[in-house]
Order: sequence, then C-alpha cells, then structure tokens
Amino acid sequence: QVSVLYFARSAELAGLRCETLRVPRQVTALQLWEEIVRVHPRLAVIRDQVVFAVRQEYVLLGDQLLVLQPGDEVAIIPPISGG
Amino acid sequence: MDESEDVPKDFIKLKSEKLSVDEVSELVVSPYCGAVSLFIGTTRNNFEGKKVIHLEYEAYTSMAESEIKKICRDVRQKWPSIKHIAVHHRLGVVPITEASVIIAVSSPHRAESLEAVTYCINTLKASVPIWKKEIYEDKYPWKENKECFWANSEK
Repeated sequence: QVSVLYFARSAELAGLRCETLRVPRQVTALQLWEEIVRVHPRLAVIRDQVVFAVRQEYVLLGDQLLVLQPGDEVAIIPPISGG
Repeated sequence: MDESEDVPKDFIKLKSEKLSVDEVSELVVSPYCGAVSLFIGTTRNNFEGKKVIHLEYEAYTSMAESEIKKICRDVRQKWPSIKHIAVHHRLGVVPITEASVIIAVSSPHRAESLEAVTYCINTLKASVPIWKKEIYEDKYPWKENKECFWANSEK
C-alpha cells in the first residue's frame, strides 16, 4: 500500500489530493501509471506531461523498475511552474 | 568568547504570507561578505494578451524543500566561496506585483553571488515541484441558469 499524491492539474482530474492504493511491490513506472489510470480514467489525458516522484525522487513514466515499500509516497508531477 | 565563525547556512521557506525582501537579505548578510545578490520574482498582469487577476501557487512541500536543498548544495560545489543562501517562495494566492519568490546569496566578492542567484532561479524553475495557476479576468465569472425565474427579466 502506497500513498499517492496528486498536484495541480492531476488533482483536478483525479478529484482528490491524496489516497492510499494497493500496488504490487515491484512494478515498472509505466505499470504503476496504468494502475492509477484504472482508478482515475480522467488522468489519461495528461499521460505525456507527467512524471512520478517516488520517495521524492523523479521517475519518468517508463520501464524503470520500482521497488515499493508500504507507506512509500508516490506523487503525480505535472509540468512545474515555480519561481 | 569566540565569535561565531558564521557557518554557511541555507534558509529555505515556503509560506503563504507576503514575502519580505528585507527579511530575506538580512538572513544572508555576513561580516565576511562584501556582496549580497538578490532575485525577486514578481507576478505579472498579463499573459498572451489575457489580463491576469492573480496567481495561485501550490507545492509538494516536503519535496520542494529537499529539491531546493539540493540546489543549495550544488551552488556550494560550484562556488565554494558562497556564504549564505536564502530561498523564500510564496504559496497560495499572490496578487499582481507582489513577490512569489525571493532568492538571496552572499559571498565575499560579487561575481560568485551574482552567478549563484542566476543558477538558483533557473534551476528552481527546472526542478522544484511548485505549480502556479493564473486566474484571468473574465467578463463576469458567475454563470446564470436560464431557468432562474428572477433573472432574465427582458420581457
């Protein structure tokens, strides 16, 4: 079980900012995205614009294998605009 | 008593209150430094011809702080003479012309702090998980249903 955090446009599309999701312990970033889209189909439209932050490190939506621990934070990161 | 050696410090703050240039620059002032360089990011009133009413910022706060810490660490590697670094970013609503970010860096001589401030803001914009939403002027933002019996009294 991981904590999924939604920000900016992804929070608007998902309709929430935070939830716990049950996901496989080992999963590629892309597979994780697909799990999340299964729960929130409206997120599909931003697939090409987002990255993940897993335990506060950026991860592209690709084949990188993630090893997740219970309670890990996974954040959906739309294009940033700080400063 | 030994005067504090003025150990280099990073001052990172994300807050919803109005930012203060005085406060941020005073954080980095040091008797060992002849230069304090500052960057202030302020909100503009137009974007692509649309009039902006105000900006709203949100952040992945814990990660934003850790990414800013990484920027500070990189700054100190690139410019070892840098003394103190302060980065204050405002969250929530920021009215036009008010500051959304203030960065201050001190160093013994001016070249390093000037370069470091530029590096800080450029890297912040590239890597720190903060988002801004622009609220545009609309003719009248509230919608009205045509079913409403007390409006639409054109008869």
